[in-house]
Amino acid sequence: MLHLVKLELKKGRLGGYVYGALIALAAMAGLLLLMYFVKEEGAAPVFKDRMDMLKAVNTIASATFIIYASALLSKLIIGEFKDKTMTLLFAYPVSRKQLIFAKLSIVFVWCFVNVVLANVLLGSMMLALDHYVGQLSGSISTTQLLQYGGYVVLQAVGAAGMSLLPLLVGLPRRSIAATIVASIFIVSIVCSNNFGFTLSSIVAIPLSLTAVGIFGTYLSFRNIDRQDVA
Amino acid sequence: MTNTIRTQMLGKSYKSADVVTNVEMTVKRGEIYGFLGPNGAGKSTVMKMLLGLVRPTSGEIELFGEKLLPGSNEHLKRIGHLIETPVFYERLTAQQNLELHAEYMGYHNKPAINETLRMVGLLGVENKPVKQFSLGMKQRLGIARAISTRPELLLLDEPINGLDPEGIQLMRSLFRRLRDEWGISILISSHLLSEIEQIADTIGVIDKGRLIREVPLDSLRASTTDYVEIETPNAALAAYVLTEKLGISSFKQTGDHILRVYDTNVSREMLSKTLILNDVPIESINRRHHSLEEYFFDMVKGGTAHAASRQTGA
Repeated sequence: MLHLVKLELKKGRLGGYVYGALIALAAMAGLLLLMYFVKEEGAAPVFKDRMDMLKAVNTIASATFIIYASALLSKLIIGEFKDKTMTLLFAYPVSRKQLIFAKLSIVFVWCFVNVVLANVLLGSMMLALDHYVGQLSGSISTTQLLQYGGYVVLQAVGAAGMSLLPLLVGLPRRSIAATIVASIFIVSIVCSNNFGFTLSSIVAIPLSLTAVGIFGTYLSFRNIDRQDVA
Repeated sequence: MTNTIRTQMLGKSYKSADVVTNVEMTVKRGEIYGFLGPNGAGKSTVMKMLLGLVRPTSGEIELFGEKLLPGSNEHLKRIGHLIETPVFYERLTAQQNLELHAEYMGYHNKPAINETLRMVGLLGVENKPVKQFSLGMKQRLGIARAISTRPELLLLDEPINGLDPEGIQLMRSLFRRLRDEWGISILISSHLLSEIEQIADTIGVIDKGRLIREVPLDSLRASTTDYVEIETPNAALAAYVLTEKLGISSFKQTGDHILRVYDTNVSREMLSKTLILNDVPIESINRRHHSLEEYFFDMVKGGTAHAASRQTGA
C-alpha cells in the first residue's frame, strides 16, 4: 500500500505541488494582512476579536486547500482515466481498490496537512502581529488555544473529506473542469462568510460532508474490480 | 501445461449487441498465434478479456492452465501486453516509464530495462520524455514495456501499426527470438494476413465476434499450392526445355510470357540454370504460393455464411 503511494508520488512528480502550497500560503498571508490593516476611516476592524481572526484564518485555509486538492484529485484520478493510463494501471497485478485508495489517501492527507499547517503558521503569524500592533481586544488563554487546536483538526478533517466530493461530479464526466468547478462551488457555499457566519464554523456540517465525500467515493469505486475499464 | 491460453464458449455482449460470441481458442506454449480479423471483429475485446480489463458475459478463460477467476490478478505478473495505441506517462522519460512499469509488475531487475530498450532499438533516447516521441517510437517503447518484465505470454494488438519497414523487420525477428530463446507464447492480432503470416505458427480467424477457424499455418502452407513462376519472352522454348531436359510435366502456361511450374522437387536454381544453358531468355523467376490472403478472404466469407445458417437453424 505504502509502495503504491510512493509510486504515485514518483510518477506524478508531486514535488512541484509543495512549491505551489508555499505560494498559496504566501498569498493567504498577504490577504490576511490586507484584511488586518486596510479599512475605511472610522469603520470597525474586520476582525471582531482575536478568536474571530483565527476563525477567518481557518476559513481561508480550508477554502484554498479544498480547491487545491481538487486539482490534485483531477491529476491523480480523472487525468489518468482521461489519458487512458488508468487502463494500464488496471492491468497490473495490483488490486484496483488499493490503487484508487492510494490516490485518494494522497489527496486526503495533502489537504489535511496543508489546512493544519496553514492554520498553525498563519494563525501564529497573525497573533504575533496583533501582539505588537494591538488592534484587537480579547486575549486568548492557553486552554482556549488548545481547544481551538482541536477545532482546527476537526475542521481539517472536514476540509479533507470535502475535497473528495468534487470527484462525484467530475468522475462520471471524466472532466477535470467539472471537478474543479465543483470544488469551487462547494467552497463558495460552505466557506462563504455572511456577516461573520460561515456554514463551516458549525463543525457538524463539514464533518457530515466528509462522511458524504468518503461514502460517495466508496460507492463510485465499490465495483471497480469487476468493472469493464475500456 | 501445454496451453497458455484456452477459452471456452467465451462471449461478451453489451446491451445493444454481441461483440464476441462463443470463442474457443487455444494458444499453445511457445507459439506465435496470429489473430486475424477485420476491424471491429472483436480482436481487442478478446485480448482485453484475457487481461481482465473487460469481463466476459459468458464462458471461461484458462491462462497457464488455471481458470481465471473474477478479481484474481496474480496471472497478470506473467503477461506483457500492448493493447490498441500505446499509452505512457508522457512527461516521464522512456526509462522512467519502464522503471515504473517494472515496479508495478513487481519485477526488480534494472539492467533488464536497458537490455529491452536495446532490443527495440531505442537506446540513446531513453532519457527523452515520451511526449517528444513519434508514433513509431511509442510503438517500439510499448513493445519494450511489454517484454521488459520477461513475461510468459505477450498480448500484442496490432503491434506493427505506425512502424517503418525497418521497424517491422526488427519486430518480426524480435518476436521470433522471444519465442525461440525465452519460450514466450505470443498472441498477435492484425487485420492484414501479410503482416503475420511470416511469423505466426497458428492463425485464428475471427469475424463478427466469432472464431471461424483456427489452423496451424504449416499445414495450410502445405495445402496451398506452391509454384515457381517463370517470366520469359520465349515461353514455347521454355516449355520445351522443361519437358525435354528436366522431365517436368506439371506446369502451366498462363498468358504469353508466363509459365507456372508446380513441381516443387526441382529447385529454382536448377530451373534457371537449365533454362539459361539452353538459351531461354528469362526476365524473372520466382517462387510463389497461392495467395493465403485469398484463401482467408474466402474463409471469412464462407464462415459468415456458415454462421448465419447455424443461427437460423438454432
